[in-house]
Amino acid sequence: MENTVVEMSMQKALNRGLDELLTEDPRSMIFGEDVGGLGGVFRITDGLQAKHGSTRVYDTPLAESGILGMSIGLAMAGWHPIPEVQFDGFAYPAINQIVCQLGRMNYRSRGTLPMPVTLRVPSFGGIRAPEMHTESLESLFAHVPGLKVVSPSTPHQAYHLLKKSVLMPDPVMFMEPKSRYWQKGEVDTENPGDLEGSVIAREGRHLTLIAWGAMVARCLQVAELAEEDGISIEVLDLRWLKPIDAAGLAASVSKTKRAVVVHEGPRTAGLGAEVAQLVSESCFGVLKAPVERVTGFDVPYPSGDLEDEYIPNIDRILFGIQRVLEYRRG
Amino acid sequence: MAEISFPLPDLGEGLIDATVLEWLVAVGDQVERNQPLVEVETTKSSLELPSPQAGKVLRIHGEPGDTINVGEDLIVFEVPDDTAGIVGTVPKEAAPKRRVRLSANLDED
Repeated sequence: MENTVVEMSMQKALNRGLDELLTEDPRSMIFGEDVGGLGGVFRITDGLQAKHGSTRVYDTPLAESGILGMSIGLAMAGWHPIPEVQFDGFAYPAINQIVCQLGRMNYRSRGTLPMPVTLRVPSFGGIRAPEMHTESLESLFAHVPGLKVVSPSTPHQAYHLLKKSVLMPDPVMFMEPKSRYWQKGEVDTENPGDLEGSVIAREGRHLTLIAWGAMVARCLQVAELAEEDGISIEVLDLRWLKPIDAAGLAASVSKTKRAVVVHEGPRTAGLGAEVAQLVSESCFGVLKAPVERVTGFDVPYPSGDLEDEYIPNIDRILFGIQRVLEYRRG
Repeated sequence: MAEISFPLPDLGEGLIDATVLEWLVAVGDQVERNQPLVEVETTKSSLELPSPQAGKVLRIHGEPGDTINVGEDLIVFEVPDDTAGIVGTVPKEAAPKRRVRLSANLDED
């Protein structure tokens, strides 16, 4: 049997996935700021315009509302648009189109106008970037009815989840962890594995760390360190942030009886609150402690020089774990 | 490897050019972000321009005494492909560091 496992970066995995989508699906189309001639500021669309032509891959004006509005019109006309907003924070000018049109068009039209749009959003922080280049939009997106939200944590997931998202009839907010673009990993192009719901990134016995996007890699580091202290940590990669895999959360935490959820975005009304509630509903009887959150702070994302203090770092996650471990009822 | 050009920026007050006084780096130098690159003089003042990024100096434009227009190439860097054109810096995978140790009595589990 042919070996289909290749080591590549997430950037390469996404680039290859898009290339194959354009080849296999004649209704697919890529557009956004600098995605054509330049190949995107992160090189995700590198070479695609040269190969597939400027009617399939092209630059737009600096107008995200237009990028999303055009996506909606193209989807109505039977296309499968794969728009890009260059950075997470640039999605804000397009929120009206996303919330008022994209998310509800299928519902509004009683299912006659599905919106097979996959919006690629380079997301989260960690690259010393300026303001509006480091936002975590998952709780904003997850709150909008009609949208699906997903964030891959590995090149393998990025390759397969992207292809899956584009072929789905629903609009998908595809949140790429930009600090992980250049980390390499094994991609099995022929065997996607289970792409539904969450996935256990590391098995453990004493506590479940729940994370997504770039925080998964950090939580795996934390689990490795905790092992030195005799604490066995399970890392659950949530992957799909809407809908959330409640059954997967329940299965893991009912075994470990303790949970800490980690995300970069601000704490208040962050997705960690939703995760904690789902865990409480399913595992209330067995939980040894309240679900702990280790998150960003309720302030605008700081300048690059300060971001290591903002994003949950290894010590803050370890502190969160310790608080759960030493919790006693009464 | 990729090339990134740093054109002469607008040095304020609508000035349209500047004169090179002295280069503080040479072709082949590895420079760090914020390292002074060149001393230039405008009609208002002389000043040092800090480097907007890290990289290896590939070309410099203008000898001392030459005038360069705002927007024209001043210096060109060579950078690894994975940083070219990106706003920000891609972090290198570092060995995890910790200060916090865990302790727990898990006997009751």
